[in-house]
Amino acid sequence: MFSFTKEQKVFDISGISVGGQPGMYPTVLFGGLFFKGEPDFDDAKRHLQTMYDLSKQTGTPVIPDFFIRKVEYIQPIIAFIEKVIPTKHPFSIDVIEPSIKIETLGLLAERKLLSRTIYNSIHIGITKEETEALQKYTPEMVIVVAFNPKDKSPDGKIEVLENGAHLIECGLLELVRKIGIQKLLVDTAALAPGENSGAAIAALPVIKEEYGFPAGCAIHNVVEKSRWLNDFPFAKKTVDVASNNTIPLFGGDFAIFGPIENVALVVPLIAWQDILVSEYTENYFGVSPIASHPRRKLLK
Amino acid sequence: MTEDYYPWGGEFTACSPKGCVAVVLLNIQYNPPETVAIYGRLKTENIGIEKIIANTISNPYIRFLIVCGDDIRGHRSGSSLIALYKNGIDHNHRIIDAPGAIPYIENLKEEAIRRFQEQLNVMDLIGEKEKEKIDTIIADCIQKSPSSFGESYIAIRLKPENTVSLNDNRALHSRIVIDYLGNVRTRGE
Repeated sequence: MFSFTKEQKVFDISGISVGGQPGMYPTVLFGGLFFKGEPDFDDAKRHLQTMYDLSKQTGTPVIPDFFIRKVEYIQPIIAFIEKVIPTKHPFSIDVIEPSIKIETLGLLAERKLLSRTIYNSIHIGITKEETEALQKYTPEMVIVVAFNPKDKSPDGKIEVLENGAHLIECGLLELVRKIGIQKLLVDTAALAPGENSGAAIAALPVIKEEYGFPAGCAIHNVVEKSRWLNDFPFAKKTVDVASNNTIPLFGGDFAIFGPIENVALVVPLIAWQDILVSEYTENYFGVSPIASHPRRKLLK
Repeated sequence: MTEDYYPWGGEFTACSPKGCVAVVLLNIQYNPPETVAIYGRLKTENIGIEKIIANTISNPYIRFLIVCGDDIRGHRSGSSLIALYKNGIDHNHRIIDAPGAIPYIENLKEEAIRRFQEQLNVMDLIGEKEKEKIDTIIADCIQKSPSSFGESYIAIRLKPENTVSLNDNRALHSRIVIDYLGNVRTRGE
């Protein structure tokens, strides 16, 4: 449990604050809606309701993360967001294909949703067209993935933020500034076991001390790629859920978990972890939790 | 035998050590016949491709690389592998004309890539998912019984200093120092 010397930035999007000194703001959870195959919106609606209910109950902020895999899903998923996500609540859009990213941005702009959008994500694979689209249709917040194919250590992640590891023209932080986005979250790029998977966690305090930006990652991806766990199906679920704990424990600010089916396990777990962190950081560093923190909400 | 021939770990199945065919599975439910040398799934357009290169050039008997199944959405890993075979990499180590999101080859020397281009005949069956068709193409390749490419090429991972060292006595990281309470500060300040 840490306290950082560097001033810590806190970014707000539609009433949810991310960042700061550990123990002040609760860990923000991004729940991944992957929509394998045809999107099942009834199922998604049920899980979202559970997620919002648990958030209300515990104080752990939640943000749905919509994965858009095909161009034909852009319109229905955005229509679903408009219909189902409370109007003052943020959401994130997780897209890999650059052309789908661009089209999604256009539609988000048309539907006037960009002020609630977290763009997941910008990385060194960004294309010129994507940069231009982001300048034209600028989302409120962006997740910057510090993936460096040359160097997977915390140093490598810093390098890609700083100078693009010389793979692109400038560092990802400068690129975000050029685009004109003020609010950014650094994703420390959790990689498969054997690819320095632990560096994603070790990099959290490094990036927070170096830049003060909110940091987190999708550590559950490491569990998914730990194929040996398939021999332990009962334990695998526990490990999958518990992996998220490592993020607040190492000073991180957000966890991207998935699938959203795990929400009933992940939200109370993170609330528990946040209480643990808060008790220590208040006692030793004088950091008081905000009014909506799980410690205030759940410990009477 | 597997370790001798395939020095980079990964999710693959080693079959016939002197087989001349390696099969890259994209989005496809298919198990190649045991007569192939090696087969496995490709997911990412960077690390995944690096592993394929390292684990094919290490076995000089492999002369054909068959890439089959629907390409991986977003990553376009299969098409990026084909692009690497055709075009190589640019000065930034980006695969030339690769459609993938982050198609960078960073852990291999260019010499290893050239060896891959020379040793392997890469067959683009992206989009093909019919078992019978792929089986036939594999059988045709085996029928040609090409000779071994010669010596095995063991590709060394570049930047070995990034691997975990148990003798590293730095406190978590070279950039920060953490005291016993948990106060973090920049090293040297």
